Amino acid sequence: MPNEIWVLAEQREGKIRKVTFELLSAGAEFSEKTGFQVGAIVLGSGLQEAVKSLSPFTDKIYLMDAPALASYTSDTYLINMAPFIKEHRPSVLLGGATSTGKDLFPRLAMHLQTGYAPDCTGLNIEENGKLIAKRPLYGGKVFAEMIFSEARPQMATVRNNTFLVNHHLSKSAQVIAISSHTDPSSLKKKIVGLEKAAGTKLDITEAEVVVAAGRGIKAPENFKIMEELADVLNASVGTTRAIVDEGWRDQKDQIGKSGKNISAKLYMAFGISGAIHHVLGIGTCKTVVAVDTDPNALIFNYADYGIVGDLFQIIPALTEELKKALKE
Amino acid sequence: MEIYVLVKQVPDPEAIVKVKSDSELEIENKYFTNFFDEIAIEAGLKLKEKFGGKVTVLTVDNKKADALRRGIAMGADDAIQITDPALEGSDQFAIAKALAAYLKDKPFDLILAGRQAMDDDAGIVGPAVAELLGIPHVNTIIGLEVDDPKKEVKVLREVEGGKEILSCSFPALFTCQKGLNNPRIPQVMNVMKAMKTQIKKVDLAALGLNAADAGSQAAKIKVQKYLPSPKRPPVKMIKEDFPENVKSLVKLLKEEAKVI
Amino acid sequence: MTMDKVDVIIAGGGLAGLSCAYELADSGMTVIVLERGDFSGSKNVTGGRIYLSPLRNYLPDLWKGAPLERHVTKEFITLLGKTNSTTFELYSDRFNREPYPSYTILRAKFDRWLADLVSEKGVFVIPQKNVNDLIKEREKVIGVKTEDEEIGADCVVAADGILSFIAEKAGLRQPFQPQHFALGFKEVIALDSKIIEDRFRLGEKEGAAQLFVGTLTKGIMGGGFLYTNQESLSLGIVVGIHSLNQKEPREEVHKLLDEFKERPEIKNLIKGGEVVEYSAHLISEGGIHIKPKVYGDGILITGDAAGLGLNMLVTVRGMEYAMASGVLAGRTIKIAKEKNDFSASSLAYYEKLLNESFIMKEMDHFKNSLSILENERLFSKYPQAISDLFEKVMRVDENPKEGLYKTIWQTFKKDYLNFQTFKDWLLFRKI
Repeated sequence: MPNEIWVLAEQREGKIRKVTFELLSAGAEFSEKTGFQVGAIVLGSGLQEAVKSLSPFTDKIYLMDAPALASYTSDTYLINMAPFIKEHRPSVLLGGATSTGKDLFPRLAMHLQTGYAPDCTGLNIEENGKLIAKRPLYGGKVFAEMIFSEARPQMATVRNNTFLVNHHLSKSAQVIAISSHTDPSSLKKKIVGLEKAAGTKLDITEAEVVVAAGRGIKAPENFKIMEELADVLNASVGTTRAIVDEGWRDQKDQIGKSGKNISAKLYMAFGISGAIHHVLGIGTCKTVVAVDTDPNALIFNYADYGIVGDLFQIIPALTEELKKALKE
Repeated sequence: MEIYVLVKQVPDPEAIVKVKSDSELEIENKYFTNFFDEIAIEAGLKLKEKFGGKVTVLTVDNKKADALRRGIAMGADDAIQITDPALEGSDQFAIAKALAAYLKDKPFDLILAGRQAMDDDAGIVGPAVAELLGIPHVNTIIGLEVDDPKKEVKVLREVEGGKEILSCSFPALFTCQKGLNNPRIPQVMNVMKAMKTQIKKVDLAALGLNAADAGSQAAKIKVQKYLPSPKRPPVKMIKEDFPENVKSLVKLLKEEAKVI
Repeated sequence: MTMDKVDVIIAGGGLAGLSCAYELADSGMTVIVLERGDFSGSKNVTGGRIYLSPLRNYLPDLWKGAPLERHVTKEFITLLGKTNSTTFELYSDRFNREPYPSYTILRAKFDRWLADLVSEKGVFVIPQKNVNDLIKEREKVIGVKTEDEEIGADCVVAADGILSFIAEKAGLRQPFQPQHFALGFKEVIALDSKIIEDRFRLGEKEGAAQLFVGTLTKGIMGGGFLYTNQESLSLGIVVGIHSLNQKEPREEVHKLLDEFKERPEIKNLIKGGEVVEYSAHLISEGGIHIKPKVYGDGILITGDAAGLGLNMLVTVRGMEYAMASGVLAGRTIKIAKEKNDFSASSLAYYEKLLNESFIMKEMDHFKNSLSILENERLFSKYPQAISDLFEKVMRVDENPKEGLYKTIWQTFKKDYLNFQTFKDWLLFRKI
């Protein structure tokens, strides 16, 4: 049991989040190299569908299904996971660098007295099971390869879209039910409400495609053309600090140093000059497109493709062209 | 209310950071108080203004105490610097241990911290300190409502897809996110006062810790190698006029980059 | 109303303000420097190069350990025609003997170091503070207002730069005229120090300063500059504001620099370098014509705020004037404190010191420099003509080469022997 690679499966309302499948796919790769088995830990309530969706991706599912576990808090998850992890001490424990992962893992690692690499942009494993975690420092100006002491498990949270989901995996997971032991009265904090964000778009940290506008958008109502473009690409709309500070968009959409780091497959920046605190947030995006009226704009130093032009002219045309291209 | 704020001095976001060798970084000598920690200080000061009490800023740093002076200049009442040569090379867990060792016998209501430090971008110390002290924590709060310090507090935090409202009992630890408040810029006379303040220093022995609890030998995680950030190949500027440039872009995205 | 009070408030943490603070540091007075940038140097720019020779008398102990770049051992002047150029290169052993006369300098580094030094000596250097207004009692300046505070002082030193808000508020400044100002914009281009030394043929730590005049400014008054720093080059252009405004069609300032960089003379010097910084700054060139009254009741004005900037054609001076005037202001304040008299008549001593210094003497000697610079031919015709002449002399082509004297005389007759050139010659005598 110590030589297993575990992934904390994140679920929301019974549905497993994409980053979990990404990490399980990575786990499967690591499995080949090390001979370790892959296990998914899932906590929640009413998880039959979740278990079904996980089954092809993992060798084992450690399941804690109880009403008290319906919503995540670090208290409940820690109380339930810690004893179980201590008992089995897997080699590796991975989670998404999500609001849950970043909230739970540091506390859990302290509790387990083990090492933890946050917000990784790459992972590798040696044959003997030693994990090498690559993560950004100083906002992404440099990167570090982290290695762990002998304490187990080696813990890491990993950014969305770092690994690809391997849809060809066809395992058949062994489900192991674990009893939860949560006394609700012992919990010192609880969720009392949830304000759902408007719209159905993914958070910019999760979206595969992100389109963003900066000062060039000139007015908040002009974000309409961004939304239309985003609809065609099934993308989420992000923005810069200047726009958020004006109050035109919500803080959750801010890309950059005091906002979020995104790792989209495709990122398109419109009317964004490319100040350092913004571009550090897009470093791990695979393909970057920039459109700006200033040919000397710094953003072009960080892009793969660039157009010098007026976003008010380019975006509607782009939206139409993409509609055509995606139909084919 | 008795409030402690964990602060850290970090390189300014404009500072140039370069990889000097596999094991060394070259960091330009430009430092400032971690942006998110200032938000935490401001939150503490606002609570003090409402309910009375004391705000103490706390740091672990062998070289600088400027973040503490910033806290005092903003209005904090006291400042503590945990410093010890044995702390060199410590990982975040050892830092948390030192902070928790200081705090464990203090009668506090609330510990505030920034959501992450802008050097290691880790976000470990806050939750780890909460774990060691056995108190609840909530990360990345953007709203904080205390009606009565004796009872429960409501906090708002961002999650994917929305915002969560949590209620939490005291004592507790919260890490603060941009949007919670706008940190005040200290007044000149307070900056002068802060520059003159004697900072209390505390070492590992005073905390009841020994060198084996800190430093690189106790580290659970280490840097094996530093790498520069990957450089993109030079940008391909699409030079055609409108609307051909848009058509070219879509073609490139589809056929060359293969992202649509 | 009781407000907090210090002895001296220095508004502006640049060279003038920090030099004044340095002079006052050991005086026992409480001195604060209010700097609007995040740190001293963050808002300051120079080409540039600082001449230490005039400053060693004012600040004898400052320079040990100062983060200066290279000491300049070579001076270049390049006259640019459209497709040709002529360069004069001067090397002198004198430049390479200690104490070195001048150094190239990077302001963000230097100013910040000076601010730290001054802080260590007990002066409070407070960043992110802008002085919004002066507090006066009748006509006497008794303090300053920042965004949210009022602080009193025996003396306020205005060191807030070229568009000095304070000099204006104190009623000491004359209205601005575009012909007294220039705009400088530059790039700092990172380049390995060995490559710099190879390209400019310099020894280790030696530096070069190069001035360009001619077609690069497209007839606008101004010129280009190139300075070698330890691990970078400072490359830029200065243009007179009035002249820039007059040009039809409008020239875009950063385009001028881009085109300048494309010239083979420049391209090969900066090859392989990486632009790491881009900055621009107004330059005071009006000299004696714009100098305001530099003292009042409870107030002194130093540096660019006092219009202490001068275009000397072969160079633009400002930094040395800023530092020296700051020191002189500091000396004046020390004497005023002994008498406990900060009235205008007491502070007038500062003007006396300025007049006796190299600052005002030079401002007087070069008072005609601007009117000469208004001559557009300096920036188009003459550099082109000189390069053309030299090219003709050096050229050997398929035609049998004419005798040298004949070549020179023919060109001279054509380009120089006219009334306009004669008039220009008379004017140039005034430099």
